[in-house]
Amino acid sequence: MTEETGPRTKVIQVDYLARVEGEGAMYIRLNGDVVEDVQLKIFEPPRFFEALLRGRSFTEAPDITARICGICPVAYQMSAVHAMERACGVRVGGTLRELRRLLYCGEWIASHSLHIYLLHAPDFLGYAGAVDMARDHPALVKQGLALKKVGNAIMRAIGGREVHAINVRLGGFYRTPSRQDMTALRTEIAAGLSLARETVRWAAKLDFPTLELDYEFVALRHPTEYPFCEGRVVSSTDLDIDVAEWDDNFEEQQVAHSTALHAVRKGRGPYFVGPMARYNLNRDKLFDSTRALAEEVGLEAKVRNPFRSIIVRALEVVWACEEALRIIDAYAPPPQPAIEVLPRAATAWAATEAPRGLLVHRYTIDAAGLIRDANIVPPTSQNQKTIEDDLRAFITQHTHLADAELQWRCEQTIRNYDPCISCATHFLDLQVERTHGH
Amino acid sequence: MATERLVIGIGNQDRGDDGVGPFVVHGLVCRVVAAITCRGDITELMTLWSEYANVVVVDAMRAGGPAGQIRRVNPADGPLPVAAYSGSTHAVGLAEAIELSRYLGRLPDQLIVIGIEGRGFDVGGELSPTVRAAGERIIAELLESGHA
Repeated sequence: MTEETGPRTKVIQVDYLARVEGEGAMYIRLNGDVVEDVQLKIFEPPRFFEALLRGRSFTEAPDITARICGICPVAYQMSAVHAMERACGVRVGGTLRELRRLLYCGEWIASHSLHIYLLHAPDFLGYAGAVDMARDHPALVKQGLALKKVGNAIMRAIGGREVHAINVRLGGFYRTPSRQDMTALRTEIAAGLSLARETVRWAAKLDFPTLELDYEFVALRHPTEYPFCEGRVVSSTDLDIDVAEWDDNFEEQQVAHSTALHAVRKGRGPYFVGPMARYNLNRDKLFDSTRALAEEVGLEAKVRNPFRSIIVRALEVVWACEEALRIIDAYAPPPQPAIEVLPRAATAWAATEAPRGLLVHRYTIDAAGLIRDANIVPPTSQNQKTIEDDLRAFITQHTHLADAELQWRCEQTIRNYDPCISCATHFLDLQVERTHGH
Repeated sequence: MATERLVIGIGNQDRGDDGVGPFVVHGLVCRVVAAITCRGDITELMTLWSEYANVVVVDAMRAGGPAGQIRRVNPADGPLPVAAYSGSTHAVGLAEAIELSRYLGRLPDQLIVIGIEGRGFDVGGELSPTVRAAGERIIAELLESGHA
């Protein structure tokens, strides 16, 4: 909505920003061509979960934290189990570790497919939403749903159901799949891999607005793998730490316009987590076939245009399908579904790569295994300030655009991050206010 | 396509009145041919309900009415009032799933959405008495009308 609020003042307002996970509020004030203020307002209740965790058993953390989000519950479970196992001095390896990676593959495929096809594609094809797009491009939407279904099938097979898995526990799983279960799953994933490759080729042909920014990318990096659950926290500048050193390097700041905390790197400022950060910092860890596809479609080795994140997300779906097939082909049921995890008094950190980026958990437990303290840093909190900076930069470079298109691109700029506000919030209104002169 | 009817309860039992859909399904379980809960991934419904000829969806809603108010919507009459069904914290809500299904040819022959006005949706909350009573009325109605 565009509104003249005075002789030289203009307000562009979207009452409800669609196609993001959850709801929040956005305010932008322009004075001529100068962006005076950008505020992404998120009313974030994950701290409620942190309070809820206190006094509960350490074994409950994976299931409690999974309820923070219905789109990335596996990420919350994985960060929780790894933090608790680190606290207890347990390391889960072998087939159980592989099954955790397979479960995570399912979440990446499902979450990325939803975002690519139903949330982000309408921006590029000029539709208000997936429903309008389906009217003209039903085959495209069907392809997205078919790909998402592959991710759901993995989560159902390994996690027990597609949302809020019930089969994850400290030390492993309650039940592990049979070889026959995996054979059935393999057929679905192999079909999904073909769709995923087509998705990359399709995404690479989209028309991308210009915006190149000098981000500090932050992601996990593992010596031999594209990262899921393990690795050091590294950045595109000089960071290379164990996640236990998180508080020495990052801080969460309160801002007046939001109950959400903005994570920044101490002494540096905002940073960028998510698929682009993972790809830029771990491109060498992709399968050769995945990297070859990236080269085939002309995806640069370092992606700095956030609008091109849709290609990176599609590439990660390809990689996740390939990784899932690799795990299934090598699978033999483990002798036991879980190893024992006994409590001990400790504080421990873990970070895993949620679809939207780094998800950090820290817990303090006592000798009886009761949780004394918890801290959760979700990826959207980490990206909030970068999203605001993107909006500021994009508007500054594109003030010539008509209000309607500027508003459209502002919304798309937010959706580039697939923000998971549903971890937290209510109602996202986008409001752009223009003034001229002083 | 399955000939029996399917009852789908949408919602999260851990979020107060949002749990009325699953509450209805719980009341029907073992007494109906097919009844399932959907906790969040509405896109899965598009595949599921296309396999049934007759589907009833029960969901909590926030349409500004008194708690426990029941509203029935037949998508065959036109698009769902999206605002009333935007209580989902997820990007794809029930109304969008129905409209997508319409364009993708996946709508059941008969689909009725029963919305029950909720009052509280706090994490950890329980069903409010009026919403629970409304849910019980829907259970009785579905049993009487042949969903048992």
